[in-house]
Amino acid sequence: MLIEDSKRLGPMIFWFVAIAVTAIACAALLYAGRGRAVNAGALEAADTNSHFRQILAGIDADLAAGKIAPEEALGAKGELAREMLRAKADPIKASGEISQAILLSGVAAIVVVSLGIYAVLGSPDMPSQPLAARTDVAAQNMDIDAAIARIESELEARPDDLRGWTVLAPALTEVGRYAEAANAYGRIIALSAPTAQLLTDRAEALLLAAGGQGSDEAVQLLRQAVELDPEHAQSRLYLAAELTRMADYAEAAQYWQAAIDLAQRNEPWLPAARQGLAVAQNDGVDTSAEDQAEMIRGMVGSLSSRLYAEGGSVEEWSQLVRSYIVLGDLPNAQIAYDRAVAAYPAAFDRGELDSIALGAGLKLNGAQP
Amino acid sequence: MSIELGHFALILACAIALVSALGGLVFWRSGQRLAGVLAQSALLQFVLIAVAFLALVQAFATSDFSLALAANNSHSLKPLIFKISGVWGNHEGSLLLWILILVLFGALVAAFGRRLPADLFNLVQGTQSLLVAAFGGFTLFTSNPFARLVQPPLEGADLNPVLQDIGLAIHPPLLYAGYVGFSICFSFAIAALISGRIDQAWARWVRPWTMLSWTFLTLGIAMGSYWAYYELGWGGWWFWDPVENASFMPWLAGTALLHSALVMEKRNALKIWTVFLSIITFSLSLLGTFLVRSGILTSVHTFASDPTRGLVILTILAALIGGAFLLFALRASALRQGGLFAPISREGALILNNLFLATAVGAVLVGTLYPLLLDALTGTTISVGAPFFNLTFGALMAPLLLILPFGPLLPWKRADFVAAAQRLAGAAALAIFLTILVSSLGGLSISLAPLGLLLGFWVAFGSIAEVIERSRLGRVPFSESLRRLAGLPRSIWSTAIGHLGLGLTVLGIVSVTAWETENVTTLNPGERAELSGYTVSFEKFEQVPGPNYMADTGRFIVTAPSGGTTELDAERRTYVASGMPTTEAAIATYGLSQFYLQLGEPIDGTHVVRLWYKPYILLIWIGALIMAGAGILSLTDRRLRVGAPKRATKSVLEPAE
Repeated sequence: MLIEDSKRLGPMIFWFVAIAVTAIACAALLYAGRGRAVNAGALEAADTNSHFRQILAGIDADLAAGKIAPEEALGAKGELAREMLRAKADPIKASGEISQAILLSGVAAIVVVSLGIYAVLGSPDMPSQPLAARTDVAAQNMDIDAAIARIESELEARPDDLRGWTVLAPALTEVGRYAEAANAYGRIIALSAPTAQLLTDRAEALLLAAGGQGSDEAVQLLRQAVELDPEHAQSRLYLAAELTRMADYAEAAQYWQAAIDLAQRNEPWLPAARQGLAVAQNDGVDTSAEDQAEMIRGMVGSLSSRLYAEGGSVEEWSQLVRSYIVLGDLPNAQIAYDRAVAAYPAAFDRGELDSIALGAGLKLNGAQP
Repeated sequence: MSIELGHFALILACAIALVSALGGLVFWRSGQRLAGVLAQSALLQFVLIAVAFLALVQAFATSDFSLALAANNSHSLKPLIFKISGVWGNHEGSLLLWILILVLFGALVAAFGRRLPADLFNLVQGTQSLLVAAFGGFTLFTSNPFARLVQPPLEGADLNPVLQDIGLAIHPPLLYAGYVGFSICFSFAIAALISGRIDQAWARWVRPWTMLSWTFLTLGIAMGSYWAYYELGWGGWWFWDPVENASFMPWLAGTALLHSALVMEKRNALKIWTVFLSIITFSLSLLGTFLVRSGILTSVHTFASDPTRGLVILTILAALIGGAFLLFALRASALRQGGLFAPISREGALILNNLFLATAVGAVLVGTLYPLLLDALTGTTISVGAPFFNLTFGALMAPLLLILPFGPLLPWKRADFVAAAQRLAGAAALAIFLTILVSSLGGLSISLAPLGLLLGFWVAFGSIAEVIERSRLGRVPFSESLRRLAGLPRSIWSTAIGHLGLGLTVLGIVSVTAWETENVTTLNPGERAELSGYTVSFEKFEQVPGPNYMADTGRFIVTAPSGGTTELDAERRTYVASGMPTTEAAIATYGLSQFYLQLGEPIDGTHVVRLWYKPYILLIWIGALIMAGAGILSLTDRRLRVGAPKRATKSVLEPAE
């Protein structure tokens, strides 16, 4: 009841204050525009004249000191005279004070623009929530076990509550009660319609419950999911992984490929899927380590020939040194490091290169104390 | 509710600014009544933006993570000072700080500018309000700091650890005060162009504002440089990073503006040039603030940016800067030039200074923007690094420093170069002697270092030559000299002190560049390393928890050649919320020199330790502080300084005595 009240009252108080602030600002602007006469123009004119007198005195003094020739002084005085005439002839061309109507429409525009923009951008019904006020609420939310127990007891009374199961299932997975989670997903599927995601979630819970032993039921569910939704990547990934585990490489490769084809851009699982595909295609043998070494060797070959011939950035040198170290080729790493030091004598420029070299036990002859 | 009230205050301020901009720029001839309204509007804008800013500060201080900005940039465990400085340690909040300073300066003009002619005042306030409306609108519609989260997270994402430093509390406000201060000069320039009049009131207002902004900018850049030096852990104090350049360009242009505004105030000359420099300087300030937010640059200073924001900001910049230059092209011919002078005169020397500085701005601008343009147009990535800047900038600064001491000794209008040179003979001899002495002691090989030293000493001694000359030290009793010194106008003192500061900075730069030594090594607790006669022993290594980070702390003892020992703690911190590491370098100060130690990554149980010895490095920042001090001294000099005929007469008569 109290909370409801403050929810309704909060925006009201806010609007009251906001409108009051706007009204005060507008009143201040209108008050300032009442047009009290301040004779600032006269002050300005007096200032200008005294300024011209000082310049005139300066010219005379320079002439007396022989710093400028008489004709130059005459020219300067002429210039000054023209300047004075111009200032007199060209006073502020006042176009008359602005009218009250313009002033009022300006103030009206301020009111409309400010309230209008706030109505679009603001959230007047949101109270401030400093940390001190929030910790109690948060602590309640944090106790996931208590929440699960509460939902479970509610579900005992109403076992067909789809919403309750939907909340419960992922929570059970979260706290590691996988078998119960699989059961909960089963209830959801029974109460709603089976979707690829629900089937996959149930299969995931079953697989987790089986603890790496595999589950025929899970594989069946995954096959169902794959059939149900031709665009569902997650089910294909799980299925491919299971098939790989079961040494059915031909079919696994097929699903790895299918999942990779479904990738939109750089999904986080993409590298793992590619590696999975490579393993499946090679009948279960992981070739990636060999490939990597081969790749590094190829890259090192082209990089070193280019760097030795043309030089390059510190990052490129660091890459070369690091590659030699990965390949275990320390003599070449030392040579490359020495070349890099010759190219970048200041340690500051070399960045992490020194750390890499130190880590591999190279000789740091570059950094002279 | 305070957050929503802050939000509303910001919107109301922008609405007032929008209407004031229209009113001020359309009805500027309307005179006194409009001026009253605009002055009130400027004060209101300041009060409202201040309320908005305080609402943000309160939300950060109380860790109110229903404010998206606080959730993304704060953490409840952060010390209070970093919670508050975290308000502007992000794109949205720093934008609001920028606007706060903008309206503060607008309010100052309103408060102290009642004696300005009404038309000038209206145009200036109209232009200021236009800036507030443009950047306020940008803030509200693309980067709203008051965006809310319906379900606040329990904990914030924390501020970038590099920024969790006292430097964040000082560096951005100072830098922004400098950048934004030039907006006043810009507004005055726009006002002059629109009204077609540059009268004495104009000149008298522009110079102090230039001086104030320049002072802030000097302090801000120096602070930023020192912060980068001790926080980034690389021991460097200037990186020619695009964002550093972006702050350096307005400083160079502002320095030129300062000197040309001086000529204008005293001699009524160089009017159009001063207007042009005012526009250039503020344009470069805008570039400095907003280039980092456009997504074009990546550096320490880059805030997360999205393409819409970049496009909008570039459009605003193009409209403001392009509009100002268009106005200049159309209206500059309507302004009257004034003031006559011979090529060899104080005015001439100041023009030469302006030309060198403007060329230096051009060189830095090309070096900063060319790689960006090339990348955007052809896709070729090139990097313009320190060698380019050191070479071009150094080549431009050397002649500038060489002629600098002559400037203050030359009389206005027409000067005798030989007489000025004679008065500098003592300074030159002293500079040459000291350069030879230091070079032989320092054991220099053939390099540019002696030339740099020579220039540094020359500027330092040359700048105080005028003061000593005027005190007639050695020619009259000492007490008489002191009395004369005390009686000198503050403008002369500030010139001498400002140039002296520059000389000291040059000396610091040359010294560090030529004699810095470094050592990278691995150390275990109990082991020692040496560098330039200093011995470092690694006492112990331990892990210490901080308020919102875990620190790997190394305790070192540095023994100086003289025998004194200093205990130092170097840290490598890992911040809990972001998992990001930072290094806290350990620095021991010996006089003006520093010993700098950084604890690197542990490798196979041992620690990489980097040591630097940086002779006289503090001169770099002390020189900058002295320059800023000279700016403040000049601001306290409130005399109306028009022309200098009397003084010029005296200096001509003196040799006859």
